[in-house]
Amino acid sequence: MKFVAVTGCPTGIAHTYMAAEQLEKTARELGHEIQVETQGAMGIENELSAAAIAGADAVILAADIAIEGADRFDGKTKIEVPVQTAIKEAGSIFARAGAVK
Amino acid sequence: MAIDFKETAARHKQYLLTGVSYAVPFIACGGILIAVSLAFAPPGPNGAPDPSGSEILSLIEKIGASAFSLMFPVLGGFIAYAMASRPGLVPGFIGGAIASMPQTLPDGKTANAGFLGAIFAGLLAGHVVNLIKKAPIPVIFKPIMPILIIPIFGALLVGSVMFVVNLPIAKTMVGLGDMLKQMEGQSQYLLAAILGAMIAFDMGGPVNKAAFFFGASMIEQGNFRIMGAVAIAICTPPLGLGLATLLRRKLWNDDQRNAGKAALGMGMIGITEGAIPFAAADPIRVLPCIMAGSITGAVIGMAAQVGDHAPHGGPIVLPVVDNRWWYVFAIVVGTLVTAISINALKAVGQKKENEAQPAPAA
Repeated sequence: MKFVAVTGCPTGIAHTYMAAEQLEKTARELGHEIQVETQGAMGIENELSAAAIAGADAVILAADIAIEGADRFDGKTKIEVPVQTAIKEAGSIFARAGAVK
Repeated sequence: MAIDFKETAARHKQYLLTGVSYAVPFIACGGILIAVSLAFAPPGPNGAPDPSGSEILSLIEKIGASAFSLMFPVLGGFIAYAMASRPGLVPGFIGGAIASMPQTLPDGKTANAGFLGAIFAGLLAGHVVNLIKKAPIPVIFKPIMPILIIPIFGALLVGSVMFVVNLPIAKTMVGLGDMLKQMEGQSQYLLAAILGAMIAFDMGGPVNKAAFFFGASMIEQGNFRIMGAVAIAICTPPLGLGLATLLRRKLWNDDQRNAGKAALGMGMIGITEGAIPFAAADPIRVLPCIMAGSITGAVIGMAAQVGDHAPHGGPIVLPVVDNRWWYVFAIVVGTLVTAISINALKAVGQKKENEAQPAPAA
């Protein structure tokens, strides 16, 4: 499956990037494709293109803050979790994606 | 339509944290600049450091104070932004600005609604703007909604409410402060312990900031000891975890040892956030250990009458601290408590894991 994801935490210097890394790693292990946008203290990095969002089967939002540009994902299958979940049990997020598909 | 309470609470927590995430760099920038300007300043008439004699120091102090004065507007503005997107900014910023205006109390003292006021303003502004957005508007007015109608009416509404609640909130803050000032003996240590626990609890989040703002507002009222205890608690979590990675290297992996060095640096300049990578990976073990260290340090500081004249913590503010040796001692003890306890817990945990899996697969 193809995923796009956004991660964000309040301080934006640690959790945001750890979550992104875990999602990328776990997706690789499970054989999924993923692109992760981070919304940290540096602002938006690795921003998702409209084409990437359109081509994704599901959107993962792993954030403790209100993310920027949430309307980009209107009408997509969304999986919303706290940023901790992406860090500690990223596998469960992809399991959920399989279930909701 | 039933309102899901849990869902609503979770959303509001996101709003608050969004505001905090934008305010943190302002707080760190302002706090460090003010601390630096006070650190090199000679003592003034009342014994406190006074940078007004030096052009460079008073310039640095003014720049830091500007950053600090923006923190409540930014907090209120971005809480509202999280809730209502761009149209929330104007009423949120204005509400936060009103919260930072000094109010004259009946006894002649001045205080502002501060942190509590800015949070209230941001939430109010977000809700108000979301309501205005829903109003049925003739098509002809649509284009002026975001640039005229919402900012003006949002600001009028939020501003009016803020001017009404400002004084009561400010009074509450001062009342709390007076109550705490009167605390003698035992309860004073309890206060230090509570503040220490709050500082370590979420490492820079809203609980941490509530304790921090309390200490900072006490400085304005001439009580430096609360901030003294807070300043110690601020730095022991990253220092303790950083030290732990140096003391028993085998318990930590490469990433953690690198994070440990960064944590030591952040601890020295009073950024509790340096502890976050550790707490994120293993909160059940890390949180009690850093809370224990911060509580220990804060209580020692309170007992030894350590005072801090700058709204910032960590060894970097040492020059503006009263009873410096005790300040250093309290930091060292708090750091050791965290470092030793986390290593002990980690060692036990790893032993258990090894017993559970006698032949680790990887």
